[in-house]
Amino acid sequence: MEQENKKRSPLFSLKYLVYDFVKITAGLPGLLWFRPRIRYENEAAKKRIRGGAVIFANHVGFFDPIFVMFAVWYRRHRFICSKEFFESKARWWFKRFGCIPVDRQNFNLGSLRTISEALTEGCLVSIFPEGSINDSGALAAFKSGMVLMALQGKAPIVPVYLRPGKHFYNRLHIMIGEPIDIISRCGGRPSMPQIEEITADLHRKEEELKLLAG
Amino acid sequence: MALSRNEIITRLRDILLSADERKRDIIENCTEDSRLTADLGFSSVSMLYMVIAIEEDMGIRFGDVGTNDFETLGDVVDYIEERQK
Repeated sequence: MEQENKKRSPLFSLKYLVYDFVKITAGLPGLLWFRPRIRYENEAAKKRIRGGAVIFANHVGFFDPIFVMFAVWYRRHRFICSKEFFESKARWWFKRFGCIPVDRQNFNLGSLRTISEALTEGCLVSIFPEGSINDSGALAAFKSGMVLMALQGKAPIVPVYLRPGKHFYNRLHIMIGEPIDIISRCGGRPSMPQIEEITADLHRKEEELKLLAG
Repeated sequence: MALSRNEIITRLRDILLSADERKRDIIENCTEDSRLTADLGFSSVSMLYMVIAIEEDMGIRFGDVGTNDFETLGDVVDYIEERQK
């Protein structure tokens, strides 16, 4: 599959100093603790993700962003998070981690532009389309904003399923799906029913990954 | 050349129809007083979709608008008129 945005972010940059420092120092203990077992849907899913892409995953707990970073460990992630986090005392960390704030009550064009620019620049934008933590065991409905973001950023969408263990010390299982090229599927500007259909397909894909994850 | 309010409404109807053909009856009968959420069934995503479609089709650059900034179709027409000046 041809991706449109193949720019690479620099190996080292002051902009990513905090991100890289935390990733390296916290990554090793995290790997030892969670012992993630990463599996792939097929051979195509094993291929490394280059350039801009939207990564989405189910959201079962507070540590999911870290688990998504384990899943695609070789890239820096820009997580989409609620703007309330940017109003908290931890906002410094969220900024340094390149998180993109989104107002869930009043989704604005500025956020969408920031996300599509990040994708066009070749960043990896990671999102939890269920909208909030859902530990019910069943996947909640996905927000279709994710599809709009990928369309605007002309980026593929990569499904990831996270299955943490029952207990904090259990092994983490991650299932990664094949990147989905929604741009070529839509052709020009898709209609709203098409966007909703793609969202439903992504939900089905996540269900499939859930079954594969066991 | 700046479009009149009627022309803007007509263009908006075309955009909305291409966005969602299923709502043809509602869109063809919509007026400036039609509420985007309650009458036209807009979600936050369809609201942003409309804004992007207006930008592409009418060549108007929107500012950092949010999905709650427009209540009725008339509000969108007002905004477009303002940006045309």
